[in-house]
Amino acid sequence: MNTEVNIKGKNMDKSNLESTQEFYDQWVNMYKATMGKLVEMPAVGPSREKSEKMMKGVSTFVNLFAAGMDTSSNLQKVFMEAMQKVQEKIPADMDGDISPEKYKEFYDIWIQTYSDTFKDFAKSGHFTSDLGKLNAHLMDFQKYNREMLEENYLKPMNMPTKTEIDEINKELYTLKKTVKELARQIKELKENK
Amino acid sequence: MNELKLNEEYDKFRHGIEILMKPPEFSVATTPSQIVYTEDKMKLIHYIPAVAKTHAVPILIVYALVNRYYILDLQPDKSVIKKLLEEGFDVYVIDWGYPSGSDRYLTLDDYVNGYIHNSVEHIKEKCGLDKITLLGVCQGGTFSIMYSALHPENVQNLVTLVAPVNFDSNKGILNLWAKGLDVDKIVDYYGIVPGDFLNSAFLLLDPFRLMIDKYVGMFERIECNPEDTTSQIRNEDYIKNFLRMEKWIFDSPDQAGETYRQFMKDCYQKNLLIKNEMMLNGKKINLKNITMPVLNVMAEFDHLVPTDASIPLADAISSTDKDTLVFPTGHIGIFVGSKSQKEVCPKIAAWLKPRSFLNGNGNVKAGSVKKELPKLVTEKTESVKEERSKLAKEKTLEHNIKKRKPKVNKK
Repeated sequence: MNTEVNIKGKNMDKSNLESTQEFYDQWVNMYKATMGKLVEMPAVGPSREKSEKMMKGVSTFVNLFAAGMDTSSNLQKVFMEAMQKVQEKIPADMDGDISPEKYKEFYDIWIQTYSDTFKDFAKSGHFTSDLGKLNAHLMDFQKYNREMLEENYLKPMNMPTKTEIDEINKELYTLKKTVKELARQIKELKENK
Repeated sequence: MNELKLNEEYDKFRHGIEILMKPPEFSVATTPSQIVYTEDKMKLIHYIPAVAKTHAVPILIVYALVNRYYILDLQPDKSVIKKLLEEGFDVYVIDWGYPSGSDRYLTLDDYVNGYIHNSVEHIKEKCGLDKITLLGVCQGGTFSIMYSALHPENVQNLVTLVAPVNFDSNKGILNLWAKGLDVDKIVDYYGIVPGDFLNSAFLLLDPFRLMIDKYVGMFERIECNPEDTTSQIRNEDYIKNFLRMEKWIFDSPDQAGETYRQFMKDCYQKNLLIKNEMMLNGKKINLKNITMPVLNVMAEFDHLVPTDASIPLADAISSTDKDTLVFPTGHIGIFVGSKSQKEVCPKIAAWLKPRSFLNGNGNVKAGSVKKELPKLVTEKTESVKEERSKLAKEKTLEHNIKKRKPKVNKK
């Protein structure tokens, strides 16, 4: 297989990873059309609330997984592009006996090329979009896990939860702010006496 | 030859590890100071003046919430604060501390109209003044701009150092990334946004240099002359300097969630500040309210706050006495680079000195400044050009020397 792909206008050989990416894309599409619909079906019965929450976790995980695959696939393409550039830049006399000087020369070429290629990619819309999506799905997934932990473990064990601590923190913040404002007003009144 | 070179590389690595295994003692923020005011986790630090008679108007330095203020006082020979003290200024710094869970609801208003305002009021009261000089650094510069627009009556001079005001810049990678972030999800999950989360974004800016090459470079700089005691001292000093910077980079306080939310959304995503549309506690921040003398200092090779993020400040404000300085350095180099002590600090001091007079009532003397203004903008253009060509020449020379004379172990 030697078809070509285009990343930011630069051609490179199609990697095996693309086939993997295609596989995962198909898998996600298939999931959404079949299992995904089943998972998102409204639950019924006495435990419907809990069941629905539990099932939501599957979609959250699948979204994170898909975003992770997109990101790693794009990163892999960048690495391959960088690797190809390194190969092009390596002088012909690098073959054979590698001296420390040659090794250093290789290292310098390698770090410079990888750094420049990644920086270019980091500026691209691809990366910004990947980063945004991955981060959003990661936050959803972690939030979901915390909710499940609170719901299924901490609350039944009568343990304080993060949600409850946040409520107290908010109360504390409001109180502190009120105290500060009152102190300021008292100071002003004293000064105006 | 190969074996010799290999031995040299190995010796450098071994020496580096040996120095690290001894745990070299190093300290940061060593300029003598005292805490004069505290509020929640915020501390107002006053530095002991270095001269008997200081300039009348004190300087309050407002640093960013990201990382710590002591980059301005990293070590005695790389200290913006020490330099300002030596130039005869009375210097205060806000240390924001390390926010924890109870600070997650702190807002931008709490920082600007709360902590900064209360610090300014404290200094004014202590010094018996009506106005002080604000020197804002990076995000702290943005906060200082907000404060100066909301409380112009308290600010005699405003100096901004690598401070963004226009966030719609395509030159800054962080600006691009920020636009794609779902800030609400981040804050809703974390509450207090971890410093490590932000640090990972900074590392992603150039992961190969920042996570690999930096450490390779550290070992490369080690000199291998076991019999030469001065080279051992140089090695140890170098490692200490490296560790100081390393400590600062990874000493990243967490961020108060609500402040992070508003800063990211209003500034990075909607760019409201420069449009005079940003609100703090229901009050619009109008940059046209800034009428005091303003010095805007930038770094030409700043990858975090590119110059086009700072330059628009000049046109957005009403001040007639305003200057811009651009130095051929980077975002951190402006504080700790070789130019910082030799050029950046002296030029800031030269700009501030004639603007730091008092009249007989203890107020800032009106109209006492203009006559003594150094022409910094013109000077800047020339100095930058000179510096650039000097730098380019030096680099070429260094490169040629390296090419011609590979280092040989003196064993």
